[in-house]
Amino acid sequence: MSGSSTASPAGTTSHRGRRARVAARTRLDFWLDAVILVGYTIAYSYGFTGVVIHEWLGIGLGIAWLLHLTLHWDWVVRTTRRLVSPRGHDKLIWLVNLALLVAMTLCVASGIAISRVALPELGISTLQTPFWFRLHALTAEVTVGLVPVHVALRWRWIAGVGRRLLARRPEGRPR
Amino acid sequence: MKFLRQFAAVVAVVAVVVLIGLAWSHLAASLPGEGPTGSELVAQGQPVKLPPGGKLPPGGKLPPGTRLQRVGTRVIERNNGGSGAPSLLLGDLLQPASLVVLRNNAFLEVVVIAAVVIADVGYRRLRRARRARTSLPR
Repeated sequence: MSGSSTASPAGTTSHRGRRARVAARTRLDFWLDAVILVGYTIAYSYGFTGVVIHEWLGIGLGIAWLLHLTLHWDWVVRTTRRLVSPRGHDKLIWLVNLALLVAMTLCVASGIAISRVALPELGISTLQTPFWFRLHALTAEVTVGLVPVHVALRWRWIAGVGRRLLARRPEGRPR
Repeated sequence: MKFLRQFAAVVAVVAVVVLIGLAWSHLAASLPGEGPTGSELVAQGQPVKLPPGGKLPPGGKLPPGTRLQRVGTRVIERNNGGSGAPSLLLGDLLQPASLVVLRNNAFLEVVVIAAVVIADVGYRRLRRARRARTSLPR
């Protein structure tokens, strides 16, 4: 959910090409983040999805989340280096993101460990121990609290990009 | 190439967290919040407290084809049609009773987002006002 990734250098591309690339990257960030948010809300609603959809959606979210993290890795490195400087807002976002990284990783990993359908269907045996069940429930609850905070801390970027994406494009302009 | 390098870094970080989880499960297999508080039965989004041991209260009955599944200290009711296989009936997704779960979670997220946005806007206004007050008059 970091809007800073759009500031990646475009290298030797022309001004017009760079603008197009940044817009495409911003669109990718925006829609991938939206899919992860909606997907997580659905996956967390276990009573709504049932176990099969819950597990496959969870695995899909894990992959999408790895992609999300990779796309924003520049921001992670940059902000981690800057942590010594007294910028409160960035520090808060960094801490929330770190907590979310740990919670989400353990949530997906424990979900894989206790999988009853998806992994056994692929011929992979799972752990199924009470520890991993409890860890899955705990980290899912922590994550469901942190995901909206993570989103809300970037609301200006989301509102800005959302407004631009939903605004009517002039005719004849390529997408 | 840059993407692959960054992806490798992400996978390494994720692997470290997973290893910490594995070490945790081997060294101290207890989690915060554990205790003899009894179990919960989650039936269509409405949690029902169960006595310690996770059994139904006297007279309590589950619908046919339903079984209880323990998830940590919770016991989750899933209706599988009595076949023993996990349910994958897409029609179930559109049941109003099941939609309540999704609606509640979405509502919870919207409330948290709204609270953080309001707090952020308030904080920024306060900071701006303070800065305007402390700046020297021209």
